[in-house]
Amino acid sequence: MVGLQILVDGFAISALYALGAVGFTLIFGVSGVLNLAHGGIMVVAAIIGWFSANELGAGAYSSAFFGILAGLAAAYATYLLVVRPIQRSRAIPKEETEIFVLTGTLLWGIMIQTALAYKFTDNPVTMRPLLSGVVSIAGVRTPRNEIMVAVLCWLVIGLLWLFVNRTRAGKTLLAASMNPRGLTLLGFELSRVHLLAWSIYGVLAGLAGVLLASFLGTGSSNTGQLTASAFSIVVVGGLGSVSGSLVAAYLVGYLETMTAYLLAPTLRPIPALLILVLVVYLRPQGLLGRR
Amino acid sequence: MTGPVRLEVRGLTKRFGGLVAVKNLGFDIRAGEILGVIGPNGSGKSTVMKLIMGIERPNAGLVKLEGEDISRWPSHRIARAGIGIVFQHSRPLRRQTVLENIKLALLPDSLWRLAAHPEVDVNARSIAERVGLGAVMDQVPSALSFGDLRRMEMAKAIARHPKVVLLDEPFAGLAAVEVAAFSELIKRFRDEGRAVLLVDHNVKSVAALVDRVLVMCLGENIAEGKAEDVMSSEKVRHVYLGGKLEHVGRREETSNAQEHLLEVAGLGVHYGKAQALEKISLHVHEGEFVSVVGLNGAGKTSLFNAISGLVPYAGEINFRGQCLRSMTAGAVARNGVVQCPETRELFGDMTVRENLDLGGHHLPASSRARQLAWLFELFPVLEERQAQMSRTLSGGEQQMLAIARALMMQPGLLMLDEPTLGLAPVILQQLSSALEKLRKTVKTTILLGEQNVTFALPHADRIYVLEHARIVWEGTPQRFVAEMGAVYFDDTEAHPCADLQ
Amino acid sequence: MRRLLRSRLLWIAVLVLGVAAVLPLWLSAYVLGVLTAGYYFGVFAMSWDLLFGFAGEVNFGPTFLIGLGAYTAAIVNSRLGLGIPWCVLAGVASALIGGLLLAIPALRLRGPYFGLVTLVAVLLLQNAIVIFAGVTGGEIGMTVPDVLSLSAVTNYWYALAFLVICAIILFGLSRSAMGLILQASGQDPMEAQALGFNVTKHKLMAFSISAVFSGMAGAMLAFYMGAASVGTLIDISIAVQIIIAAVLGGRRTILGAALGAVFLIGANELLRPLGQLNTFVVSALALAVILFFPDGLLGHALHRKEAK
Repeated sequence: MVGLQILVDGFAISALYALGAVGFTLIFGVSGVLNLAHGGIMVVAAIIGWFSANELGAGAYSSAFFGILAGLAAAYATYLLVVRPIQRSRAIPKEETEIFVLTGTLLWGIMIQTALAYKFTDNPVTMRPLLSGVVSIAGVRTPRNEIMVAVLCWLVIGLLWLFVNRTRAGKTLLAASMNPRGLTLLGFELSRVHLLAWSIYGVLAGLAGVLLASFLGTGSSNTGQLTASAFSIVVVGGLGSVSGSLVAAYLVGYLETMTAYLLAPTLRPIPALLILVLVVYLRPQGLLGRR
Repeated sequence: MTGPVRLEVRGLTKRFGGLVAVKNLGFDIRAGEILGVIGPNGSGKSTVMKLIMGIERPNAGLVKLEGEDISRWPSHRIARAGIGIVFQHSRPLRRQTVLENIKLALLPDSLWRLAAHPEVDVNARSIAERVGLGAVMDQVPSALSFGDLRRMEMAKAIARHPKVVLLDEPFAGLAAVEVAAFSELIKRFRDEGRAVLLVDHNVKSVAALVDRVLVMCLGENIAEGKAEDVMSSEKVRHVYLGGKLEHVGRREETSNAQEHLLEVAGLGVHYGKAQALEKISLHVHEGEFVSVVGLNGAGKTSLFNAISGLVPYAGEINFRGQCLRSMTAGAVARNGVVQCPETRELFGDMTVRENLDLGGHHLPASSRARQLAWLFELFPVLEERQAQMSRTLSGGEQQMLAIARALMMQPGLLMLDEPTLGLAPVILQQLSSALEKLRKTVKTTILLGEQNVTFALPHADRIYVLEHARIVWEGTPQRFVAEMGAVYFDDTEAHPCADLQ
Repeated sequence: MRRLLRSRLLWIAVLVLGVAAVLPLWLSAYVLGVLTAGYYFGVFAMSWDLLFGFAGEVNFGPTFLIGLGAYTAAIVNSRLGLGIPWCVLAGVASALIGGLLLAIPALRLRGPYFGLVTLVAVLLLQNAIVIFAGVTGGEIGMTVPDVLSLSAVTNYWYALAFLVICAIILFGLSRSAMGLILQASGQDPMEAQALGFNVTKHKLMAFSISAVFSGMAGAMLAFYMGAASVGTLIDISIAVQIIIAAVLGGRRTILGAALGAVFLIGANELLRPLGQLNTFVVSALALAVILFFPDGLLGHALHRKEAK
């Protein structure tokens, strides 16, 4: 039945969106950056993962690991080469820093995209799924891999929640998103906190990219779409609200799946855009946002 | 000679969430009169200006300009109706010259006009001359002195001959010589028949300049009348000084007079062109309790922020013999100089316990537990409310949490910036006894910055008085009570400050 | 001092213009073609600078206005068969209306939200064009029956003249009383309001002007190329290039934007042999400019005295 198919597929896709969006929100909350190179980082992870598997012959798990590592490296590069220099630049007046960072990450994202397209062409790549086989959920034939993707995404989100809310290191991240000056007064170096945030983000985006490759496949031509989805979700959910991102991810994910199944696959990106427009006009702080 | 009533304010009320910034305020200003509004920090003075100018909308009440209700008009309409405002911080167009900035103020709000009327240029020049900017008309704001920048703001505000002029802290950041010149300028506005509303912390300069004074506290009008009458009222002195100044007993232990734990020499802090601190020198001995007393705008926060490494400064700051300049702000705190700022900077969405834990982050686990237990003994209410979100605590509880969190760091020097801000007298008692207990149990060195002298006096070993970016007095609490009882209200030119500079 | 600067600028501009006008005598049709595209791009960039540099609003989707202008003109031309001037007019009207529909609610939003909305507008337009492929030719694009001219030289002069007229108008606006009010509105809306200016009204005016010029240039470009497509007119990469051109040339100079645009288009062509990589190099160059010369070429050269 189509309805159940939508339910199942939608769940997995939304989970994947959620993972990416949570990372995006984390960076916004702690570093104040809307990273428009987000899609680029995800695709780098996907392609490196695919490359290690197909060209270097690594096993399914090792290639996933390499992919995530590549995502981490790409995130560091984004922060250290683009974001931080712009934030620290004295030639840019303070009010314009945000815009310059936005433009800078946009350019960096384009650079990543074109570099990947040049080296690897813009054909989509897929990674061998970590689990093979198909199960039947209430009559819907679902690849085991798809279930694993959803489970893994939620597992990681759960771990992240535990980290941020229950560990001391994680709480510094939370505190930084609330009151950076407060942290400085307590003897913390903010530069270290930012590095931690970007590290976590790199792993999250890398994992999201690798899972996307194993689930649906992705390529350098997708980078823009992935970034657009992530920031649509984050704005709809509320900039800085992690729970908002989760809710919005499911809203967007399900709407997209329904559109693809019930209307046409080409219309897929439309619902997210329309909801974004609605939210920005009617409730700019997002569904659960507080900033 | 005062003329007809220009501005009427009745029942003006403004709430920001749960905080009532202005409560049922009412007053009149006539043509040819200067009304000065004074009051401690947080009394709502700036909010009143914003409400009159339409930058904020009142929740209740009205504002009438020559009989017309303007309370819900947009700012630009109010401006065109005849009210000019000089904001606390200068807001020039950075890429335009002084003349062009003033011309802007003379332009009509037209969409289609490409060329300004030739009169605009002529008028702009004459206005520039009138406020004393004739020589710098063709310079850009970055080349101007602070005083001239403020003059330009005045020029913009009076360009279209407004009926009412609002001045938000016109004396802030000005050098002493400029204050006199600005007072003359403001007097001239009045003599031209305008109604002038002035808000400032510099009570002495305000008292000398204005015709009438209105004193605000916590959003309400608590006194109004002629300057001399208001200034000598007990009620008003209480609001500023916090209560009767009493003799205090000396501490039994004498501090080590040789070594200075904290040494500040020749400290200067500038924000852009505004001078916040000038040639400040002070020191604190180990185990001492030193109070730095001064009104808002005197420079206490700048002093603390400079020591903490949060703002750039000129001069020397040494702690335990080590120069603090090369350290990052985080490093300064880790090295034992911990500030509990005026704004408290708590993590609102975290619990009391989580805030404290973050304070003790750099301690080894065993000491952390011990420190926490000690602090819970010192502030039992914090133990009760461990699991509560700090945002939901009362003002007094938040202040105690902020202090406790700072103490978790086992500071060598604890700096407290205006801990009594916005707190009720009964809470102040609790805070005072907690500080007393603290000093008795552990040898903590404390540097306290306060406006409320009654709170600052009892525990202090020494007092510094900070006024307009300079230290104007230093001595023991006894001497303070004897000499400085009227420091904020009377002319204190004849004080032996020379040897302190 | 500033008068001296302006006349120096004027003389340089006249000189550059003189050289540009006679270039067709020496250059090949191919190079002229590149410059022609560059000139139209220059109008895009100047319109963007008026909005950003003066009204202080970052438009991440200038191609929304360009696309509306170009496609409306193209569709009117191919469906209704009207002459070029009418089609351009239709394009301008469409861009203006679309721009106002976008701006009126969007200007209520602060900071990054305004930029986001403009970005979304582009994405929506892009998707709309793909969906209504019957009319618009979808992803492949559509051909336009009429063209401005078949001669490369004539096209070049049309473009140059267009650029010069737009530059004079936009530069003049920026230096006028209206320009001063716009600067105040962009830099410090609260102070501008306190001085009696309805900031929203003025920003809408700036947006309208930007829309009119962008739409007109978009329509003209479509008639020059004889085609309109998403890839050449609307894609985000085009939008980014416009922003880069303005930043490269120098924000708030208007003329710098035109310079930056010509430079960028030229660079793109020079790097064409690199294939896919040319976008990479141009983006890297732009990033370098942002990091090391945020004031841009003209901005640096004019040594603007600004407070930091």
